[in-house]
Amino acid sequence: MSELTTAARPYARAVFEMAKETDTLTTWSESLSFMGAIAANADVVALLEMPKMAKQTGADAFIKLCDGKLDDKAINLVKTLADNNRIKLFPEISTLFEVLKDEAEGRIEAIVKTANKLTKAEEKSIATALKKRLGREVKLKVSIDKALLGGAIIKAGDLVIDGSIQGRLKKLTTAMAG
Amino acid sequence: MQLNPTEISDLIKKRIDSFETDAEARTEGTIVSIMDGIVRIHGLSDVMSGEMIEFSNGAYGLALNLERDSVGAVVLGDYKGITEGDVAKCTGRILDVPIGPELLGRVVDSLGAPIDGKGPVECQKMGAIERGAPGVIDRKSVDEPMETGIKALDSMVPVGRGQRELIIGDRQTGKTAVAIDAIINQKGKDVKCIYVAIGQKASSVAAVVRKLEEHGAMDYTIVVAANASDPASMQYLAPYAGCAMGEYFRDRGEDALIIYDDLTKQAWAYRQVSLLLRRPPGREAYPGDVFFLHSRLLERSARVNADYVERMTNGEVKGKTGSLTAYPIIETQEGDVSAFVATNVISITDGQIFLDTDLFNSGNRPAIDAGLSVSRVGGSAQTTMIKKLGGGIRLDLAQYRELAAFSQFASDLDEGTRKQLERGERVTALMNQPQYSPLSTAELGITLFAANEGFLDDIAVDKISDFESALLAHLRSDQTEFLDKINASGDYNDDIADEMRGILESFKSSSTW
Repeated sequence: MSELTTAARPYARAVFEMAKETDTLTTWSESLSFMGAIAANADVVALLEMPKMAKQTGADAFIKLCDGKLDDKAINLVKTLADNNRIKLFPEISTLFEVLKDEAEGRIEAIVKTANKLTKAEEKSIATALKKRLGREVKLKVSIDKALLGGAIIKAGDLVIDGSIQGRLKKLTTAMAG
Repeated sequence: MQLNPTEISDLIKKRIDSFETDAEARTEGTIVSIMDGIVRIHGLSDVMSGEMIEFSNGAYGLALNLERDSVGAVVLGDYKGITEGDVAKCTGRILDVPIGPELLGRVVDSLGAPIDGKGPVECQKMGAIERGAPGVIDRKSVDEPMETGIKALDSMVPVGRGQRELIIGDRQTGKTAVAIDAIINQKGKDVKCIYVAIGQKASSVAAVVRKLEEHGAMDYTIVVAANASDPASMQYLAPYAGCAMGEYFRDRGEDALIIYDDLTKQAWAYRQVSLLLRRPPGREAYPGDVFFLHSRLLERSARVNADYVERMTNGEVKGKTGSLTAYPIIETQEGDVSAFVATNVISITDGQIFLDTDLFNSGNRPAIDAGLSVSRVGGSAQTTMIKKLGGGIRLDLAQYRELAAFSQFASDLDEGTRKQLERGERVTALMNQPQYSPLSTAELGITLFAANEGFLDDIAVDKISDFESALLAHLRSDQTEFLDKINASGDYNDDIADEMRGILESFKSSSTW
């Protein structure tokens, strides 16, 4: 997984810089996630991996699959990736592009899991506190998990803030066991 | 149903009381691969080098390789319950172990967890495993003796408190025996001992612990054990954990002795971990920093001055110097002291005790090669008496070795040569010593005096050890006052010499001999 990220990074960065210059971040974002979804499909992967499949034939097949939804630049990207046998990297490129885009726009998505439903006021206070802590605009994605028993777990990127009762019980167990 | 020691209600109540209920913020990552004890983690953006990472099965890992897209961590403990896709959390703690006097008498593993079944170790403090050594200004020169109780060592290769003395030799030459004798001799001398067993058989470590208990040495000793079946990461960390425990005593103005048995196996464990982390191999497949592995460990054994102790204890302890003496052990193959790790450690330490297989097999035990063994601190770490009396021993043995080839022609030699040969034989026989029978400074002094003044010259070589045991028995029963007097001061003058002469003459002429 980390090897794919290393391989995908130069492509994602190139696309990002180009999108930033031409101010087409949103279009590219949609394009990439679309292509990522297609490239992740098992049948497509099988097709591209076929030994006798020449690079450009594969690229053409992929472009046809996208059914006219790609602009010229996107088609060029597909052809470049095909040259280096990297079409299957599209999902990773899309993810990395989103990360770069969020960083540029100063936004981050936070997943909040609670045992009970949050009120609007509670959601707002969490969002403000997170914004202060992370220094970026926070977009909350709320979900319910009864197993937490109470409190909340907030995940933003790699950072995890565990204020749940389940988490505290786990800590108590470890502390008691010595 | 059997309750274990942790289930006492008081303990449980204390634990619940001290439990902190704040929410914790930490970084998490996902395990990408786990192979041969090495875990690759994706994420963990805030991880520090050498930080402890917690896995979902409660085991800990150590982040050693911080790469661009992943973190290479080595598992400290059982990696059976860890699977790919599991979550790995940062703990914010750089690897540390419990330290303090509560560890004395216990057998623990490299992370400080007890393995002797005597309940938890209730330490108040934690000490970092990796710490910088005391600086140049914080040190004091070594001038106090660290007696091993072994005649050959205390007279010819004296070790001081704060010195590093390497014990090097082939397998089965008595390296561990020298170390254990040193520990046993520290009884009543207010020196805390730490025995670090790296990569040994669990049965050997159990035998060592039993022997220490028999001689009442476990009361002031900590045993840190990373046995052969423990993961390489634990074997690599064990010496550092032991050193952290020893530094606690050093920084409080007390004296401590630490024995690393042995550093060869630690180098092997480190080589294994480094190769699995894909670090480039160097000479003999060791990683490039194998010298640093040992140098940073041994530099922490030092004698520190009173100012440093005062600073480290925040003014609690004034006017006392602290020391941590180290006896690293290295095993050689076929006596090859020019092997890579052996030469590294020889250049780091302040001297070596070289144990020779031939000497061992011909019955000279401890099999110390007086020619190759050296202590770079030397005379400054000896009491006046031993320095005076022991000075001649080394010379006698060196001259004897030169002439030993002629011993077959003993009857054809001139008087002077024959006398030298006979003196050398007797001194060599005198240097033999059984295990677990340390000699105090006074007893050593009298024995050396006897050798120097010719009291042994008329005794047959094979009767020397009997003579010595009888002499020691006599001293310990009838001359305790005299022994105590010398042990207290360590001085030597003509009066004391005359007293010794008197004791020896009366002993020799008495019927006990």
